[in-house]
Amino acid sequence: MATLKGIPVSAGISIGRAFFLNRSGAGPLPRQTLPEALVAPEVARLERAFEQFAQEIEQARERIPADLREHALIIDSHLMILKDPKLAGVAKRYIQTLGINAEWALDKAVADLEKAFEALDDQYFRDRIQDVRTVSGRVQARLAGQTAEIRAIESRVVLMAHDVSPADTASLETDKIMALVTVQGGKTSHTGILARTLGIPAVVGVTELEREVRDGDLVVVDGLRGVVVLSPAEEELARLSDLKYQFEAYQAGIMRGCHLPGETIDGYRLKVKANIEMLEEVPTVVNNGGEGIGLYRTEYSYMNRAKLPTEEELYQEYLDLATIMSPRRVTLRTLDAGADKFVSTLGSLDERNPALGLRAIRLCMHHPDIFKTQLRAMLRASVAGNISVMFPMISGLREIRQAKAMLAEARAELRQEGHRFNADLPVGIMMELPSAVMIAEILAREVDFFSIGTNDLIQYSLGIDRTNRFVSHMYQPLHPAVVRSIKHVVDAAHQAGIEVSLCGEMASDPFCVPILMGMQIDCISLTPQAIPGIKRIIRQATMDDCKNLLKLVLESPSVTRTNALVQETIFRQFPDELMFYSSLLDREESPAH
Amino acid sequence: MTEPTLAAPLPGADDILAEADGFVLRVRVANEQGLHARPAAKLAQEAQKFACDIQMRQDGGEAVDAKSILDILTMAAGQGSELELRAAGPDAAQALGRLGELFRNRFR
Repeated sequence: MATLKGIPVSAGISIGRAFFLNRSGAGPLPRQTLPEALVAPEVARLERAFEQFAQEIEQARERIPADLREHALIIDSHLMILKDPKLAGVAKRYIQTLGINAEWALDKAVADLEKAFEALDDQYFRDRIQDVRTVSGRVQARLAGQTAEIRAIESRVVLMAHDVSPADTASLETDKIMALVTVQGGKTSHTGILARTLGIPAVVGVTELEREVRDGDLVVVDGLRGVVVLSPAEEELARLSDLKYQFEAYQAGIMRGCHLPGETIDGYRLKVKANIEMLEEVPTVVNNGGEGIGLYRTEYSYMNRAKLPTEEELYQEYLDLATIMSPRRVTLRTLDAGADKFVSTLGSLDERNPALGLRAIRLCMHHPDIFKTQLRAMLRASVAGNISVMFPMISGLREIRQAKAMLAEARAELRQEGHRFNADLPVGIMMELPSAVMIAEILAREVDFFSIGTNDLIQYSLGIDRTNRFVSHMYQPLHPAVVRSIKHVVDAAHQAGIEVSLCGEMASDPFCVPILMGMQIDCISLTPQAIPGIKRIIRQATMDDCKNLLKLVLESPSVTRTNALVQETIFRQFPDELMFYSSLLDREESPAH
Repeated sequence: MTEPTLAAPLPGADDILAEADGFVLRVRVANEQGLHARPAAKLAQEAQKFACDIQMRQDGGEAVDAKSILDILTMAAGQGSELELRAAGPDAAQALGRLGELFRNRFR
């Protein structure tokens, strides 16, 4: 028995026989120089391989089932790449001028393109090289005399591949695939999208796959942990198949209950909302029982473009969101980015320490025209649905007053221009800087609500950059300083009679949510996928238990003690709910050396 | 209140200029996503229908082949980018007219 590790991209467990769709091609690329007489036949061989693959893609396109229609667009772009002079044309020229074999020439043409794409600043464009690699990989396979015939699958299989191209997708008999495993791919790869559409588990980035697995091997694909278990021993197989049924039952159970309100057994009500950044996510929010949008990240419309969005564009976006979600509350957060992160028109600043630099509300006050355009769009959209606005990264009173003054200016302008808006638009702030936490009582008098951004609050409180592998193990949500900060903010809000919500990753952590409930927080906002599981925990909790847990946590002198204590309590209180969450203690990795 | 983005007038057929070595047209990328995979594919597909040679250039950038989707993608042209199209050959003016139309219609 062996276990191969990869990246989980679609949840679930499947047990079945391996079937290889394709392999990367055995061994290194053949490299030969050719005698003059063989150059012309070599060019013809290259052209034939391109043509063959083009024909296969065109045929595949005809067979695309309706629910996978979006893949057809990717197929079209693959077809274009296949016919592109910069790939086939350049490879052909390399054969002619350098007298090298087709495989080598194609590899050189791809390397040229890689250089051109790597130089691009924009992630989207840089990633298009993946399509070139996929296409050229398939042509290489044909040059090597391999062709995959995916329709030959006779019984249900676990599909394994070096990489699954959209063209493959189209020719898959999807009902015969029970899981997907690939060597290539990352968190956002096409394979994950496909697997989630089909509702089957998938693990990508399994580098050892081709060496370790043969066609027909019995494998277990665990899309929860991101592992592939090979030839499992009988006991392990029994354990995994139990886990499979438990997961399926659990999944069905939490989805059934996700539309019920987030209410404890003893009647304490906690609103459960969603964090999103695109309109496209709204259906998931609604299907998963989200009671509103607790955090709409507005940065997306500002990124990857040469010019800033217009007021009209933003207005339309916010209006659409508010209308679809109506009557549920939608909280729009004003632009929360550093100058580095968006709009190339602002130029790049030379900042030694961007996390402590010109970002979020500071950036907006620095560019009042950009800020006001966004505020005007938000105000105008507030005629529909139920919108509120919040400002990120507030450190003190002056920033709130400046931001509110800007909002007042926008209101006055709109009134004069005859635009309608909601004059009582609720205004809140993000509580994510230690300075704001310390003076929460003062800030609470100025706004209608607080939203605690724990991701930043933890980083700024503990002085930890969580992306730095040398210190990331010290990023601890239940550090006594963090727990006390959150408690302080919640209490200050309640004393002032305003609502307080929490929108960091803690809100989707089953080990943290009961502690937050003990503080009587009003609302949590989390990634839509996690809502059903968290709602179920809330509905099985009692306020008494949560308050007791909070008391113990507040008395604990260290995060290690807290984690052990929370882990023990939560596992005891929700024995059936946590099987699919990694434990708190597992996350305390040792520092990197 | 000024908008941060002021739309430049979009090119019509009148904007195609004749020069000694062919025709030139300046266009602006008006569609929201910029020259992403789909618009780039459409542009290359249309360009390939013409016999003439068509080059595109972003300000300060290198000239690329408008018939190559890969070349177009490596321009990474976002919304609002200004591009110069140059065509030389028998159907050059016609080609620029058609490509200008694509930009104007936002590749729909």
